[in-house]
Amino acid sequence: MNIRLGRGLIAAAVLLAQASPAEAHIVAARLGDFYAGALHPLTDLQDVILWGAMGVLGGTLGAARGRWLVLVFPLGLLAGLALGQDFEITLTGSTVDAGMVLVLGLLLATAVRIPTVALCALAFALAVIRGMANATDLGPETDRLLFAAGLACSGYAVITLVMALVLAFRGADTSVPTSWRKITLQALGGWIAAIGLMMVGYSLAS
Amino acid sequence: MSLRIFRYLPFAIAGLVLPQAAFAHEQVGLGGGLVSGFLHPLTGIDHLIAMVAVGIWGAQLGAPAIWVLPITFPLVMAIGGVLGILHVPLPMPEVMIALSALILGAAVAVRMRLPFAAAAAVVAVFAIFHGYAHGAELPKSANPLAYGVGFVVSTGLLHLCGITIGTLTRWPAGERLIQGLGVVIAMLGGYFLALSLGAVA
Repeated sequence: MNIRLGRGLIAAAVLLAQASPAEAHIVAARLGDFYAGALHPLTDLQDVILWGAMGVLGGTLGAARGRWLVLVFPLGLLAGLALGQDFEITLTGSTVDAGMVLVLGLLLATAVRIPTVALCALAFALAVIRGMANATDLGPETDRLLFAAGLACSGYAVITLVMALVLAFRGADTSVPTSWRKITLQALGGWIAAIGLMMVGYSLAS
Repeated sequence: MSLRIFRYLPFAIAGLVLPQAAFAHEQVGLGGGLVSGFLHPLTGIDHLIAMVAVGIWGAQLGAPAIWVLPITFPLVMAIGGVLGILHVPLPMPEVMIALSALILGAAVAVRMRLPFAAAAAVVAVFAIFHGYAHGAELPKSANPLAYGVGFVVSTGLLHLCGITIGTLTRWPAGERLIQGLGVVIAMLGGYFLALSLGAVA
């Protein structure tokens, strides 16, 4: 190793060790509400699980069926946000969320080949409900257009990326029922369903 | 590397040891729920050995058990979890958990070949009791959803660990090693059974 590289490495180590949170307060910036809309669902574990499970389900059903979600899911989020904000309709609740986690998990675990229409309907319903849930935290000073744009972009990015990852992981050959990749995705579905089932029980108990 | 580099080492060390935020008391909120859920199956040795034994036995039984168990076990366990959350009384859960380690360890040790349906039924009964014990703790956790995620992931990883160990059965020496491990699990299960029955202090 030459001396310049050594110095550079040490300087980099010092810089990395000293790095602290940026505290940039992007939410207070001009496009802050866009970032707020984009990041709000990503900081909620229910959104993370539900969006992720929806993306995995779309990916396991293949690109031909799943690609519709790229459009349907963000539109559903926008519809839910509008319903929640303008009409103050809320279908949110821990039992509804837990039930959706359970349904998505069971569909994944059983590897049911649901039709494209049913997949789109499920994704739209899920997105509407989560859009409503995200609308509940909108303040009067929030720029709704920017928040909605951020939420839709976030939904688009998460669904597309998760489906792409699952499609890449699944590979081309899905005809073998005992392919370890297929079993891994089904086992993941079993885990998701188990989480959903316990949360249904918890929401019924509380 | 030139010795001159050591001139800069004190600066690097100083940078590393300068105080950062401590992040103490992490057992709250989302992180706390995740950590407590993840650690719950790992910190109870009786749970841990039984879950690993399920994976090993599944690997010994081969298909379809090896791939059906990871898919269905968490779900059956979650049924037990719901019973625990709802405080539905189950008979002697601690005894059954200890018994599960004893029987599953013995099954691994003697390489018990049961029909798939019978093996699944045995594992399902024990899964309900294990889930019951975990589920009972869920409402008390910092974040119940995060606890559930942590506990399911932890249990799944323990199965995976067991299945990975179980792949050693491909080799004769590995098979003997696994059978020895089964004996150890069964003995530990026997100890926990005696403990839960009050036979040992």
